[in-house]
Amino acid sequence: MPNTSSRALLMSASAALALAAGAVGADTLRIGLASEPTSVDPHYHNLGPNNALARHIFTPLIVQDANQLLEPGLATEWEAIDDTTWRLTLREGVTFSNGDPFTARDVIYTICRIPLVPDAPSPFTLYTRAIAGLEAENDYTLIVTTDGPAPLLPNQLSTFGIVSASVSGAEDEVVFGGDECTGVGDAPASAEFNSPDFAIGTGPYTLGAYIRGEELRLSRNENFFGDAPVWDEIVMRPLTNSGARVAALLAGDVHMIENPPTQDIARIEGDGFTISSGLSNRVIYIALDQGDAPTPGIDGDINPLQDARVREALALSIDREAIRDRLMLGLSEPAGELLPAPMFGTNPDRPAIPYNPDRARELLAEAGYDDGFSIVLGTPNDRYINDGPISQAVAQMWTQVGVRTEVDAKTFSAFIADRNGFNFSAFLAGWGAGTGEMSSPLGALVATRDPDRSLGGTNLARHSNTEIDDLLVEALQTVDDGERERLLREASTIAMDTFAIVPIHYELTTWALAPGLEYEARADQYTLGAAVLRAD
Amino acid sequence: MTDIPNPTPAKKAKAISPLRAAMLDFAASPLAMIGLFVMVVMALSAIFAPWITPQNPYDLSQLSIMDNNMPPGSESFGGMTYWLGTDPQGRDMLSAIIYGLRMSLMVAVTATLCALAIGMAMGITAAYFGGRVDTLIMRVVDLQLSFPAILVALILLAILGKGVDKVIIALVIVQWAYYARTVRGSALVERQRDYIAAARGLGLGHARVMFRHLLPNTLPPLIVVATVQIAQAIALEATLSFLGVGVPVTEPSLGLLIANGYSYLLSGAYWISVYPGIALLVAIIAINLVGDQLRDVLNPRLRR
Repeated sequence: MPNTSSRALLMSASAALALAAGAVGADTLRIGLASEPTSVDPHYHNLGPNNALARHIFTPLIVQDANQLLEPGLATEWEAIDDTTWRLTLREGVTFSNGDPFTARDVIYTICRIPLVPDAPSPFTLYTRAIAGLEAENDYTLIVTTDGPAPLLPNQLSTFGIVSASVSGAEDEVVFGGDECTGVGDAPASAEFNSPDFAIGTGPYTLGAYIRGEELRLSRNENFFGDAPVWDEIVMRPLTNSGARVAALLAGDVHMIENPPTQDIARIEGDGFTISSGLSNRVIYIALDQGDAPTPGIDGDINPLQDARVREALALSIDREAIRDRLMLGLSEPAGELLPAPMFGTNPDRPAIPYNPDRARELLAEAGYDDGFSIVLGTPNDRYINDGPISQAVAQMWTQVGVRTEVDAKTFSAFIADRNGFNFSAFLAGWGAGTGEMSSPLGALVATRDPDRSLGGTNLARHSNTEIDDLLVEALQTVDDGERERLLREASTIAMDTFAIVPIHYELTTWALAPGLEYEARADQYTLGAAVLRAD
Repeated sequence: MTDIPNPTPAKKAKAISPLRAAMLDFAASPLAMIGLFVMVVMALSAIFAPWITPQNPYDLSQLSIMDNNMPPGSESFGGMTYWLGTDPQGRDMLSAIIYGLRMSLMVAVTATLCALAIGMAMGITAAYFGGRVDTLIMRVVDLQLSFPAILVALILLAILGKGVDKVIIALVIVQWAYYARTVRGSALVERQRDYIAAARGLGLGHARVMFRHLLPNTLPPLIVVATVQIAQAIALEATLSFLGVGVPVTEPSLGLLIANGYSYLLSGAYWISVYPGIALLVAIIAINLVGDQLRDVLNPRLRR
């Protein structure tokens, strides 16, 4: 096998180079990305790598810190005047990287532009939909009105960066009008943002160059309103092959990499490199099709998954600790809900789902499946940490309680196509709560599918429970934090008690850094070069 | 009586059958004999895999994730020794390699036999009828041979989807053209011979002349090509499985086993990739050694 032998060569070569790899010189930080942003446009694709890149160049009104708590961004204060009205106080004296002053006009323009982004694969309208009115009292005060109570408005405003109205070709006066804004001009296409002349924001860095598939260069924004950025220049290189990424780090070609493979972490640390890891907001779950009988992955005209006892059996037969210890090498936390405690709306006392194969067999027998049944488990094999191996381990565990399981592993794009076509009876996937609270996973994965209420968008298991829906809808209209959290906790408890969905674990996100560098692990899994610090 | 010389020994020497002569020729090369021996051992262990392996790696209920990534020689919780270690799913590598070999050989041999049958029929038809039929068939063959095999197979699997049967179909479609070309070449020569003219003169049907008279005389080169192509098919299947478009992950072939261990090479768990790699290498070399010697034996120009 030529592959194998050249790989072995590479291995020893990189081991030798690792000794030569010193601390970070100069003031350039080089990062190896696991996946590349699809555009520099901050409003094009609501995707982790894009959002992380956007945070360097464009500042949102409100920013999320490493634990997804809200902090002032371009807005210094935000308060709810009543159930449907919010007042935002904008930061004064901020200039864009081209020297233009930042005012309320840029905010109105940004919110007007979001629905106008052509062909957005995952638009940000999800986060602006609640806004019914937007008026500038003066250049630095904005009044936001919403259709109904919108308690998540601050979280929603933290998901997108503010772009410059002037650079984008807006008129002097931009007026928000719900569906139709005036004075927007010709909204620029997303591709235009890939040029440094157009990607003008208020963030700590400016775009130097963007060469798709090769390199992304960011330079320090001298006009940045916050603390002066540490690095003169940040260079990001997409290194999608995990082995190549580790080799690049060990060889000193890059100073920081995303997602080092779990099995390499001990070795990386042994060589004196730093590992930063922290609990993410991403849950890895298995969805069980409860829509129709028959269901595509199970033989016969039956759908045993509609029976909560069968779902419970499948949940209990997964040994989450074995997966953590043997496959994730400690880099996961067994889950009992869809969001790790103590995030907003979680039940901190609820334990992870226990491993109880005997009870699982009993439940299957009670449900009338003494002999089990056979099922196909769909899974991506290049999206989540160890996704393919986890699915195979689950297949083992299910088979051991009598549910004969076959794994259908595909690359993520092929998997998504099959999943969205309802071709799986069971599939493994992950959900990162962008807003950092419980209504995100519950609303997307468990609530009854209802495009009109934008609920259940990713509920491809077609679970439906009006009790959960009602609690969720009520929570989404409750501005009082305590009451909203109570409602979300109750909804989550019902969903977990009925095994609407089977959580496996929360991913720990890891970064590996050259000796002498530090990075605080972020729950949203973003890699922010601007937040990498020297240890001294 | 006694002074009549016994003619038998001389007769015997003359009457040595062509098959026997070929076998003796073949045995002249010790390297080829080693290759043949290895091939036979591998084929037998593949056929009898369920009876000789300590574990059935395709039966998920026999695997335990708790035993994963164990180095060679480790002992399992149940007291079983993993002579070649275990993979990330806790499969015994020795069992997995033998089963993987079984899967690889099964896929390659089935695909080769099907491709051989199709290619042979097409090639003979082209050579026998000539003219437009020949042009049509051979242009299709040319077209097919002008694309790299791996590319055609990847496209086919992208369309057909995954599964053992799909891999076999893809391999057949990729390989039949080689046989068609080979058969046509030798059949064109044979067609000019008198015995074919004689057979047609007797008023025999086309099919009978083609398959009973023409075909047997084109077999030697075909046997050589088929042997080499089996090795090719094994390598191609391994490549496809390595790329993740071949056999299902729960029933790994050698290529998939190598792919499974690939990401562990850097972290020191060499045995997951290396041992299946060695098995694949040995299988392909053995088949090629046998194929080379067969070519020498069956090629009249190289007759010593």
